[in-house]
Amino acid sequence: MPRLIELADGEARWAEDGFVHLADEDPIPETGDVILSLARFEAEGDALLSSNARRVGVRIESHEEVEVLAYDLPRIALVALAFPKFRDGRAYTSARLLRERFGYPGQIRAVGDVLQEQAGFMVRCGFDAFEPADGASPEAWTKAARRFRHVYQRAADDRPAAFEERAS
Amino acid sequence: MYQYDLIDREFLADRSAEFRGQVARRLSGELTEDQFKPLRLMNGLYLQLHAYMLRIAIPYGSLNPSQLRRLAEIARDYDKGYGHFTTRQNIQFNWIKLKDAPDILDKLAEVDLHAIQTSGNCIRNTTSDPYAGATAEEVDDPRVWCEVIRQWSTLHPEFSFLPRKFKIAITASAKDRTAAKVHDIGLLLRQGRDGRLGFEVIVGGGQGRTPYVGPTIKEFLPTDRLLSYLEAVLRVYNRHGRRDNIYKARIKILVAALGAEEFARQVEEEWAKIDPARADLPASELARIRAAFAKTPFETLPARSETFEVAKAGDAAFARFVRNNVRDHKKPGYAIVEISLKAQAQTPGDASADQLEVVADLAERYGLNDLRVTHAQNLVLPHVKLDDLPTVFAALQAANLATPNIDLVSDIIACPGLDYCALANARAIPIAQDIARQFADLDRAERVGELKIKISGCINACGHHHVAHIGILGVDKKGEEFYQLSLGGSGAEDASIGKILGPALPADRVATAVDQLVGAYLGIRADGERFLDTYRRVGLEPFKEAVYAQAD
Amino acid sequence: MKAVTANRLLDGEVVFWKSGQWVDRFGDAQLFDDHHAADVEAAVATGKGQPTIVVDVYPIDLIQSEGRWAPLSYRERIRALGPTNEPTHGKQAEGGDVVAALRQASGAARSTGRVDLIRRK
Repeated sequence: MPRLIELADGEARWAEDGFVHLADEDPIPETGDVILSLARFEAEGDALLSSNARRVGVRIESHEEVEVLAYDLPRIALVALAFPKFRDGRAYTSARLLRERFGYPGQIRAVGDVLQEQAGFMVRCGFDAFEPADGASPEAWTKAARRFRHVYQRAADDRPAAFEERAS
Repeated sequence: MYQYDLIDREFLADRSAEFRGQVARRLSGELTEDQFKPLRLMNGLYLQLHAYMLRIAIPYGSLNPSQLRRLAEIARDYDKGYGHFTTRQNIQFNWIKLKDAPDILDKLAEVDLHAIQTSGNCIRNTTSDPYAGATAEEVDDPRVWCEVIRQWSTLHPEFSFLPRKFKIAITASAKDRTAAKVHDIGLLLRQGRDGRLGFEVIVGGGQGRTPYVGPTIKEFLPTDRLLSYLEAVLRVYNRHGRRDNIYKARIKILVAALGAEEFARQVEEEWAKIDPARADLPASELARIRAAFAKTPFETLPARSETFEVAKAGDAAFARFVRNNVRDHKKPGYAIVEISLKAQAQTPGDASADQLEVVADLAERYGLNDLRVTHAQNLVLPHVKLDDLPTVFAALQAANLATPNIDLVSDIIACPGLDYCALANARAIPIAQDIARQFADLDRAERVGELKIKISGCINACGHHHVAHIGILGVDKKGEEFYQLSLGGSGAEDASIGKILGPALPADRVATAVDQLVGAYLGIRADGERFLDTYRRVGLEPFKEAVYAQAD
Repeated sequence: MKAVTANRLLDGEVVFWKSGQWVDRFGDAQLFDDHHAADVEAAVATGKGQPTIVVDVYPIDLIQSEGRWAPLSYRERIRALGPTNEPTHGKQAEGGDVVAALRQASGAARSTGRVDLIRRK
């Protein structure tokens, strides 16, 4: 399993992963934080969230739309967005919508074919946790995320776009 | 012209450093070829038949003399002394070594050039009218909006891994020199009844194996809402474009599958949710960009130049050049000069390092430091004084750059084809050269008039054969190069997709067949009709007859 | 008859397999008899195991031309020669009998291993 990297204040660090990714056929453990597929969350999420104090995350595949989570977001501890292949760019849209349209404050975690070359794009779209498939270290991740001194667009991060830099 | 500032320059330096690191990691084995390929493609570096090919972006086809000189230097130092201009106004070098690519990108960055997003499934270089800022036809300067898009689309965090590549063209003239209607997005600047400017937005045009003339999905988009609307279009495409089949992944397939109306509705729905205050460019930045293009230092000149008139009357070759390669300018006393890269025996769109330097000198001395690349693979000096035209013509002549054939039968668009390209099925360049030889007689070429021949070496259609008056597609027929002719396409304002004429022909029959088509046209054309007009009036049959009748 | 070809990673140059090495000239390439298919596979496998030296390793079919062997497909002949529009560029620049034979070869058919081209770039 890839280790978890979390990003806080522009610095990527190894993090202890309190969550277990549950496949749909896995039994729900007695205790502990879990990440469920969207289908399983829709079926069992209510029961899990009300029965005890565990945290629940939802894994959204790239063809699934984050809009379906809109009403549940306040009680979801993290959203894991899947990259089946690094070339599949749908999760970037999902992340931006979660942050910019729904104001989601929880963790957005990149899972699947997650490579450091895409770190900059992911961070700009609002991802703040990563399970790198290429074994990238937090140092490499920080470096990749900070590669560019300037950006040309507003996105989910708070970096000023070039036109804002010019105006200031 | 737009000038890069410190922000743009630091950005290019960072990009160059990133690629240098990626190349080093590839060479050391840390990155596999599968991981590296998309990274090099995002920097325009392809592996072709004989070497790597580097495609360098020429934003909206606009260059200054020092940039052109640097391209000449790269041609000489890292290539075999020539470059190839493309139908998307970029330049390609054919003989690049991977180990040199980082140094080349550094040298390009020194003159504000780069290869960012010249390949890959991202938003490519936005193309525009090569006469922008020079023609009286335009309702606005399209370069302003191209520059807005250049910045917005550069390393866009959300839209760098689209289902497939994404190409935008912008024009502001009624006469379309950008092939806007066969782009993923074509933006046509229009003046509304109240005098306000807006875009007619065309989405889902394209060529390749399923060619479409794109439908209009919005009649009038106020210009200040451009970026939020593009965001909506790209978001709908990023989410819903097909990713399971590379041949069905372009936006044209999505638009065709949903229908233009439903696609437009989805875009409107998404657009309504986007906050304009965050997504659209502030008026102050727009004004800054606009001002950069408004500074062309034109002189006040009389509309008539004696020097020019005398030269035209006394030199038939100059008069022919003026007829075919010189266009009206919005300012009195100036002209737009097209430089043909389609001389006899030349590879269409190729220019030698020496030629590039000649053009750079001319732009500096006589052209207000401005240069353009056209979608037809020629160059343009957009602002030349009529007084200077004879001198410019002589200098072009001396460099074999004065071929007077713009839009004529020998002004052929051709992709590199199987002579260079790893995707090609057949060669395109030798076919173009054969046809040019067949029509070497300039008097005859002028009598034939406007005739756009375009050749692609495979169905990907980089040579735009679908939108040619006479299109030629190279196919592999049991291991031999064959060529399928189509008629009646157009990439201009009257855009249409050509129709296949008949069975494919062997290579040595193509130039003759074109001659037969032209012969048929000359026999049946009505007054003032171009080849395309005659075809549209009479249809395929007489032409089919001319090419295939004797063959049976 | 077959040969094994690739492009060199560092400069993209077309190269051919010759007994454990990669050589620039088609004339120097090792030729494999059709009943030595296992040797061809072994050469391809070795090449694929050298990702920092070559990319895109594959076998090509050959035919006889002018008493010499030449690649069967014109695509492979252009790779072995250089672009036909610039006869002084690429491998063909040095001239000689092998180049002449390659230029005259005909009777082409697509070589094996060249399907699905759009993914290859």
